[in-house]
Amino acid sequence: MFKLSAEGLNYVQSELTRYETKQSAIIRCLYRAQDENGGWVSNDVINALSEAMAIPAPQIEEVATFYTMFNRKPVGKYHIQVCCTLTCGMMGGRELLALMMKEAGVKEMGEVSKDGLFTFSKVECLGSCDTAPMLQINREPYTENLTFEKGLKLVQDLRTKGGKLESQISKEL
Amino acid sequence: MAEVKYLSEHYDKKEYRSLEGYKKHGGYEQLPKALKMEAAKIIDEVKAAGLRGRGGAGFPCGMKWGFLPNNGEPRYLLCNADESEPGTFKDRVMMERAPHQLIEGMLIAAFAVKSHKAYIYIRGEYTGPAMILKQALAEAKAAGYIGKNILGSGFDCDIDLFIGAGAYICGEETGLISSLEGYKGQPKLKPPFPAVQGYLRKPTIVNNVETLASVVNIIRDGAQAYRKYGTEKSPGTKLFSISGNVNKPGTYEVPLGYKLMDLINNECGGMKPGRSLKAVIPGGSSAPVLTAKECENASMDYECIASLGSMLGSGAVIVIDDSNCMVDVLSTISHFYHHESCGQCTPCREGTGWVEKIIHSIVHGHGKAGDVDLLIKVADNMKGRTICALADAAALPVTSFVTKFRGEFEYFVANRKSMVKPNGANLGDAHVH
Amino acid sequence: MSTNTIPCTINGKDVEVKEGSTIIEAMKANGVEIAHYCWHPGLSVAGVCRMCMVEIEGNPRLQIACNTQVVKGMKINNTSDKVKDAVKWTLDFHLINHPLDCPICDQAGECGLQDQYMHYGKYEPEMAEAKVKKHKVVDLGPRVVLDSERCILCSRCVRFTDEVSKTNELGIFNRGDRADISTFPGKPLDNNYSMNTVDICPVGALTSKDFRFRQRAWLLKEHQTVCTGCSTGCSTKVFFNKEGLFRVKPVYNEQVNGHWMCDIGRDVYKFVNKEARLFDAKVSGKGTGAGNGLGAEWILPKRAALKVGETLRANKGKGVALVLTGQHTVEEYDALLGFFKNDLGSDRVFHWVNTVGGGPESLEAFDGLLLRGDRNPNTAGLKESLQKFGIKTQWKELLEGLASGAITTVVVAGPENQTFFPDFKAKVVELSKAPRLIWLTAGKNLDLDNLTGDVTLIPLKSYLEKSGTFVNHAGLRQKIAKGLTIVPNALSLTEVAELFAGREIEAAESCSSIGVGRVQNEATTVRGSL
Repeated sequence: MFKLSAEGLNYVQSELTRYETKQSAIIRCLYRAQDENGGWVSNDVINALSEAMAIPAPQIEEVATFYTMFNRKPVGKYHIQVCCTLTCGMMGGRELLALMMKEAGVKEMGEVSKDGLFTFSKVECLGSCDTAPMLQINREPYTENLTFEKGLKLVQDLRTKGGKLESQISKEL
Repeated sequence: MAEVKYLSEHYDKKEYRSLEGYKKHGGYEQLPKALKMEAAKIIDEVKAAGLRGRGGAGFPCGMKWGFLPNNGEPRYLLCNADESEPGTFKDRVMMERAPHQLIEGMLIAAFAVKSHKAYIYIRGEYTGPAMILKQALAEAKAAGYIGKNILGSGFDCDIDLFIGAGAYICGEETGLISSLEGYKGQPKLKPPFPAVQGYLRKPTIVNNVETLASVVNIIRDGAQAYRKYGTEKSPGTKLFSISGNVNKPGTYEVPLGYKLMDLINNECGGMKPGRSLKAVIPGGSSAPVLTAKECENASMDYECIASLGSMLGSGAVIVIDDSNCMVDVLSTISHFYHHESCGQCTPCREGTGWVEKIIHSIVHGHGKAGDVDLLIKVADNMKGRTICALADAAALPVTSFVTKFRGEFEYFVANRKSMVKPNGANLGDAHVH
Repeated sequence: MSTNTIPCTINGKDVEVKEGSTIIEAMKANGVEIAHYCWHPGLSVAGVCRMCMVEIEGNPRLQIACNTQVVKGMKINNTSDKVKDAVKWTLDFHLINHPLDCPICDQAGECGLQDQYMHYGKYEPEMAEAKVKKHKVVDLGPRVVLDSERCILCSRCVRFTDEVSKTNELGIFNRGDRADISTFPGKPLDNNYSMNTVDICPVGALTSKDFRFRQRAWLLKEHQTVCTGCSTGCSTKVFFNKEGLFRVKPVYNEQVNGHWMCDIGRDVYKFVNKEARLFDAKVSGKGTGAGNGLGAEWILPKRAALKVGETLRANKGKGVALVLTGQHTVEEYDALLGFFKNDLGSDRVFHWVNTVGGGPESLEAFDGLLLRGDRNPNTAGLKESLQKFGIKTQWKELLEGLASGAITTVVVAGPENQTFFPDFKAKVVELSKAPRLIWLTAGKNLDLDNLTGDVTLIPLKSYLEKSGTFVNHAGLRQKIAKGLTIVPNALSLTEVAELFAGREIEAAESCSSIGVGRVQNEATTVRGSL
């Protein structure tokens, strides 16, 4: 059963009064709870937030399922989101995604690789079309100007690292 | 004419990101000047400059500000940094390179429209720019540019950052407001318009990043000097996001009215070796596509692009060369709109899915006689029938691609393979299934 | 809203409409037909189904009638080819992913999609692609089932739980054509107003577990009445045919219930149905000549009442007491009180006060929306009649009279809805201490059946089988009319009073009968259970 950490609860409390209405804090609190829950939003996460924020669970669920950056299913440590829209589609984003998935040993999008490291998603335009093809890992700054070779190497390097991201961006934002 | 670094003069300097660096290059000099002006005078100046919204619709900015009712209610200024229109990335560049320019522009705008609370709504994926903005906001607050009694003027204004979580529709101003209010980013019925009842049903102005940043230069140089660039009806410069099959894709600032082919051939270094221009999407994925022929005399201003039946939109130029299958390109666009339709209005919710399924069938060799006409019919009946413009945005590329490249679509249906990529590898989202 | 009117033209006809009204309100007020799914007069405007398209002169773009205010002189039409074509296409968008399972859908016959298809559709479907698959037979809560594939996402039900019941159980999850109405796991749609979501669902997405698969809508007749579930007195209509009553729905009443009614009120039809009713009078014990309480005689109610009346009159009302509940009409109270007071000269009339949730204070309870603690339709009417006849008794006087032997005969006009009388069993025990008990009741009851002594049970008509007046908690007088016959020989209290007085009653007026020729089937035997 998921429970927010003491620090997380404090965070929720402070966000509740940050905006004009407490509803506005739902997105930020979902990010926080998703991080604390290993990268995805379980039903327990929604229930925990519903209780901590005194907002009905369906309202939080509406937000969690509307926005693509909340994962309602478990993801690997590296959630690799490859842009395939328009320019990225033209510049090889789709082929890159297929190659990287094969390298990581996953067949379907949204699937977690056996080693627990990778999940792939095809995402819509990330706003970096001049550096196509490109991708985003979790909520990290973009990985751009990719080639098939670079994409494969990225999977291999991440595998060697074994699930550690240097940046703490999700805690900062 | 060539590239003009009017807004982007110092974008190449890394120090420009910091408060200190920004100030070193003339930053925060227009805010005190504006604070001494009459608010109405600032609005007049922006009106006189003819600044048009840079987010996509091109609505005159000063006129928008003038719609606010004088009913004593609190007013909100929202900066739309939910840049999500496929092909568009110039706001990201602006926020990364000149966060303080945006903040200064917002403060001037807030003073002009008498708002004491402003938000920057940035798309959730833009964590890099969000970190930079967070830092910049903290610096500006510490230096007294944001907060109570700014620079001793008696004007209070707070600016906070709001981070989205992945939804194209939040770039629509009422979708943005719904999202900021903590709900699904579903656009609201109009009327009432945001200027009358926006965020929390209070008068609200929503402006794009580039629009707000432009205000700084208008105050600095005055409306007349601003009008030195651009055309009579489309004054000023604009940052264009150019991507696709050119040698040097990127963000380029040119005066409005700049020749499209000059942009492609000069700034962007022309087409890739051995390739020729096939088509250009001039204003983001929702803008009707232009054929190479139509591009020949096109100039990048609102009027000229509109006269060609398309839109300047957000200034996202996607250059497509002859190696691309237009059926395939449209398939990624239609997938996008199907994925992003918020789902409230029936014609959009159902129409975007239907369109994508038809194109999907064609791309996978299951196209049927009549599919090409059906695409046009479905697209036509989505247009103008919904709360927001997403249905139109989804329909316009369908109509223009199918009409202008009909031969490619019909070939695909009849031969069950692409005219351009006959071996059919990696078309559509084949690998996904 | 202002009461001023402004002129406008609708489909070429000049009309005056209330200032500030939207086009759809103006059209409804003028009896103009307009297609719509998401708009509902009791909910906020969503503007999402896009069916209520109208053409406004001078505006090239079609507008939705639900979110456009009428301005002076506006020329509106919704019959032009342009409007018809737009509505036809919007309807088609609604239908492309719809399962078209009308033959097994409960909504068939009263479905918005079917209705509009008959107006605007009648075309060959052009959608040849695979439909979106969604959840089916989703158990949303104790009373409501969802079929997501039939749902057109009009959001009426979600707005209802947000705005009216304020219980927030429902949401629309996911986006685009993947969007789905649902509850959150572990938080079912379980509030006392949940069935309104079924009523306002324009399609067969939300259906009632109680009504599901029992009847086809077109096989049912309607009868408008007043709910007897509590002292609010909501306007309702019951749906019935020869096999019985099947459901209750609210009828709009601005003064009382607006558009809604509560789930408790939906069940009141169950104690009216044949299975729950007493059919003939039962006379047992000494008075009957049937033997010393060892046997009972079943006779025509009319005969039983005449016989009881004879005895009462012979004894000149000596030792007689009358017990009344707030479940009958004003006219009935007046008739029966008239007989007791005037013919028998008795003042011993007692008000049996039922409390559902505990002490007398629970009578004043109110859930803030419609349901009141006083679960009787006519407590106010009863009090009024008692006052009119100058009766000021207290229940303890009845008990004292029974204990001392001063009261020897008790006539009880028992409650129609026994479930709202938690003390029913206790009262049966208490009142059967009287040497002679005459119990008038619509419903059968095992405790009454098991009484030995000198007991007469006489079947009463239910509220649907008689005409009369109920006075609600606020003093509003509402007429109910006789709508159908379920127990052909049952009597109203008015008829009982006439018979007690020795006067013949007229034959029953003719009315839909659900008792005669009724076919028993599996479904109807289950239905009677409460």
